[in-house]
Amino acid sequence: MIRLFVRLILRPLRAEPVRTLLTVLSVALGVAVVLAIELASDAAAGSFRSSIETVAGEADYEATAVGGLDEQIYARLATLPIAIKVRPRIEDHAVLVDTKQSLPLIGLDLVAHALDRTSASPTVAAKGELILATASGHKAGDTVTLRVNDHDHQLVVRATVPSETSFAVVDIGTAQRLLNRPGKVDRLLIDAAESLEPALKKALPPGITLAPFGARTEENRKMLAGFRSNLVILSYIALVVGAFLIYNTISVSVVRRRNEIGILRAIGMTRSAVLTMFLAEAAIFGVTGILLGVPLGRLMAEGAVGAIGATVQNLYVSSQPGSIALSVAASLKAVLAGLVVTLAAAWAPAREAAAIAPVEAMARGRKDYDTGIRQYRDLMIAAGCALLAYLAALMPPIGRRPLFGYLAAALLVLSAALATPAFVHAATRLLRTLLRKLLGVEGLLASQSLDAALRRTSVLIAALITAVAMLVSVGIMVGSFRETVIQWIDSQLQADIFLRPAVPATADRFPTLSLGIAERVAALPMVAMVDQFRAYSIHFRGLPVTLGSGDANVVRQRGAFKLLEGDPDSAYQAMLNSDSAIVSEPFVNKHGVHVGDVLQLPLGEQIRAIRVVGVYTDYSNERGYIIMHRARLLRYLPDPAPSNLAVYLKPGAAIVPAQRAIEAALADARVLVLPNQTLRREAILIFDRTFAITYALELVAVFVAVVGVAGALLALVIDRRRELSLLRFLGAARYQIRKLILCEAGLIGLLATLGGVILGGVLSLVLVYVINKQSFGWSIQFHVPIAILISALTIIFTATLLAGLYPARVALSLNPIEVIHEE
Amino acid sequence: MSVLQFVDVRKQYPSDSVAVRAVDGVSLKVEVGELIALVGRSGCGKSTLLNLAGAMDFPTSGTVLIDGQSTTGLDDTMLTRLRREKVGFIFQSFQLLPNLTAAENVELPLLLSGGQKARENALDRLARVELDGLGHRYPHQLSGGQMQRVAIARALVHRPKLLLADEPIGNLDSATGSTILELLRRITTEEGATIVMATHSAESTAIADRVVEMRDGRIISPQ
Ligand SMILES: Nc1ncnc2c1ncn2[C@@H]1O[C@H](COP(=O)(O)OP(=O)(O)OP(=O)(O)O)[C@@H](O)[C@H]1O
Ligand SMILES: [Mg+2]
Repeated sequence: MIRLFVRLILRPLRAEPVRTLLTVLSVALGVAVVLAIELASDAAAGSFRSSIETVAGEADYEATAVGGLDEQIYARLATLPIAIKVRPRIEDHAVLVDTKQSLPLIGLDLVAHALDRTSASPTVAAKGELILATASGHKAGDTVTLRVNDHDHQLVVRATVPSETSFAVVDIGTAQRLLNRPGKVDRLLIDAAESLEPALKKALPPGITLAPFGARTEENRKMLAGFRSNLVILSYIALVVGAFLIYNTISVSVVRRRNEIGILRAIGMTRSAVLTMFLAEAAIFGVTGILLGVPLGRLMAEGAVGAIGATVQNLYVSSQPGSIALSVAASLKAVLAGLVVTLAAAWAPAREAAAIAPVEAMARGRKDYDTGIRQYRDLMIAAGCALLAYLAALMPPIGRRPLFGYLAAALLVLSAALATPAFVHAATRLLRTLLRKLLGVEGLLASQSLDAALRRTSVLIAALITAVAMLVSVGIMVGSFRETVIQWIDSQLQADIFLRPAVPATADRFPTLSLGIAERVAALPMVAMVDQFRAYSIHFRGLPVTLGSGDANVVRQRGAFKLLEGDPDSAYQAMLNSDSAIVSEPFVNKHGVHVGDVLQLPLGEQIRAIRVVGVYTDYSNERGYIIMHRARLLRYLPDPAPSNLAVYLKPGAAIVPAQRAIEAALADARVLVLPNQTLRREAILIFDRTFAITYALELVAVFVAVVGVAGALLALVIDRRRELSLLRFLGAARYQIRKLILCEAGLIGLLATLGGVILGGVLSLVLVYVINKQSFGWSIQFHVPIAILISALTIIFTATLLAGLYPARVALSLNPIEVIHEE
Repeated sequence: MSVLQFVDVRKQYPSDSVAVRAVDGVSLKVEVGELIALVGRSGCGKSTLLNLAGAMDFPTSGTVLIDGQSTTGLDDTMLTRLRREKVGFIFQSFQLLPNLTAAENVELPLLLSGGQKARENALDRLARVELDGLGHRYPHQLSGGQMQRVAIARALVHRPKLLLADEPIGNLDSATGSTILELLRRITTEEGATIVMATHSAESTAIADRVVEMRDGRIISPQ
């Protein structure tokens, strides 16, 4: 059996090294992408706090409050007659000015820490001193400039702690001073037995949340699940495209060996042995592909982690991309996916091989590579799949996950694959005359040979159609999203100039401006109005949300106060005069909240009832916003420092001089003064960066498909060598043979592009109106980015055409005399 | 003038140890309208000689003149042109393209050389080999004899001066074989075409104008 396998399967594979390599490469790329995304999103999202915990230590519980906790609560807990240990902590971010490195800034009670033997950093840092991670590259004794919010501070490095991720630790008093939050801490870490939880809760004011330590990290993970699952699904596309190619490769292998199989069956080989033999062939591709794919995926993860990390920061939560760890779980997943996909793809042709009757194979039919294709039956099934897809698209999400949406997309791909033979058959027939006119006899022959080898070519074209369709549909979705966002930015960004601290902000990190800045800007002669916006990251029903406040009066007068739901006038009045808020569309979609509902929000130490009076459109992050009037929120969260300012100029005032004037007035503060145009550009840049990774995934899938086309054309050339040689006898010049193969490649590219655009168009509807809507809660307008799509399709078509070059060379290297006399 | 002339032609194939001399010093003249039977044991070099005659291959030394033009020193384009204009091939195993109909097979040489009225000529050719009405059939819908007629029609469609046939009746039963031979004989007389036919059959030698016998790459009769 082994010897037979070597002779029948391995030897032919070795005889066609290029084709074997191309097939292996397609599996390898598929596996690599799956692994890369798995690893990169793990690294990007998996390290919210881990680096901090290693220095600062862990605890059983943590108490937090929106706007911070009063130090007195710390004192109150410490005097409770129960056996607990409480440590205060401040967590924020800062920038090391010399290296522009952004890093977590942690304030701890270092004296207490030093006494605590279990802590990893038994060092005391005095006022004006800090402890740095070795990753920042500084030594003890260095003086560093630390930018916190809008101010730079000189601090001396007291000690360094070995760590691959950067952070800075200061004493809690220093942190309060740097952040300008006197008397406040961000959280209290509490070591207490579980039985003491009720007592703790009783001792804390109702607005303070007591949660098991690390629960927040869990929440973040939960929030990222949707984002991750979409990315993961995209990452499987290349593997699916690879599956078509494995199917094709094994089919070719079976078709070529029909005779041999018949003979072997006749002399006593069992069906299951035949089946095993071809599955083993697929396994060879699978295993070799995996062996190559795993290290490749590890490498690709390096490239992907930055992009994914940026997206996570922009849309969800600040996290420091951790180092990439080739985890067993992730590797196992990729290996399993690779094996399952290859074996599943090989199953049908292997079964077919096993079903070959000894007599049938030996009395070999005429059209030998066109066996077992039932176009009309397949077309019917395709129609059925399309119908099911339509029904699935109408179904609601399951637990905020658009599972039926994915199903609809998968069914559509299946439907397209099943309809491809009929499509190719009809198209080649229809195009035949045209091709003959345009390209001469080579065009005619190319269309005929594609049709004659329909089974092979349609699998190939289906693979390429899938890849192209994914590119087109994701392109349309991202394009629609982009267009929507641009329009939204245009209507939303009404102010002339924006101000914010010159430190990075993320979806959950809102550095504040110093007090007085707003007033100094407002006092400038050309400034008409200044809106102060403040944001807090809070938790609502177990998920992170952004709570913000702005001046409803300013927005009403100068900004955009449009609502999707609710009446603007009454909403405005309600916001001014009562505990009311407007919320963003993603918030509504996430929490099922409507106008009129009352939200119980922990604000400061108390829980407040806030009524929802309107829903507005927002695309800036996926967490969702709750927006209150500034004056109302200040009652409960009295910290007046704004996160950013929107400056409205007097009519006729020019922007550039105003920007200069503001910068001059605020020369002592580290703030960014951004004209409207710059902010817009920045927003779009962030948008584009966010989706760069999806494009990269699509391109890999297309690349896999093109590699497959090259491999399959090569097989086609080898199997038609007799025909190609005969043409030479009949007077075909070498260039005509090359042209013929290139025509075939071009025709494959053309049909795939055509089919891909059709399927992609339909898929984009599912993406825009079902999957995106259900998983992110954004309504986006349909928009086709024609220029981008056309250039992408041109590139794909050209690549497919070029994929014919090597097979054409092989066709030309055939010796017609030898081939004709082989018989 | 001779349609085909071999002047001391040698063809060697590099082999593991000694080079195989498939054609070893052949000189031959074939005149217009002749039907020549090329005979000899298997491996004596008949096919090699035909390939040289059809400008499919170059001699190692010596000169092959097709209609007065030497094949030596021609590039692929010129060889292809020579083949298109002057030579038609017939094979033992017919070598029809299975995905093309009979008529499409026949018009193929014209299409490849960019000729006009391909379909018309093809149908006319098919009629002349007594296959009128079968042009739309695919090869697998034809009998062996019919397939070889299609092949002959294809070999003649561009009116070549030289028809090269490598065991044209080798795959046919004797009755069918005879009709094919008759057809070839008729073609030489009616169309003035010249045929060089490698063969093993006695019947073929019987209808030939001249029998050329080969052994070990050399012509042994008539000298
Ligand atoms: N490509 C090649 N490489 C090496 N030797 C070759 C090659 N082609 C043919 N030969 C050798 O050249 C000699 C002549 O071969 P050729 O095919 O011309 O014989 P033939 O007379 O046509 O035989 P048959 O009647 O069996 O068809 C043979 O010995 C053959 O082995
Ligand atoms: Mg021979």
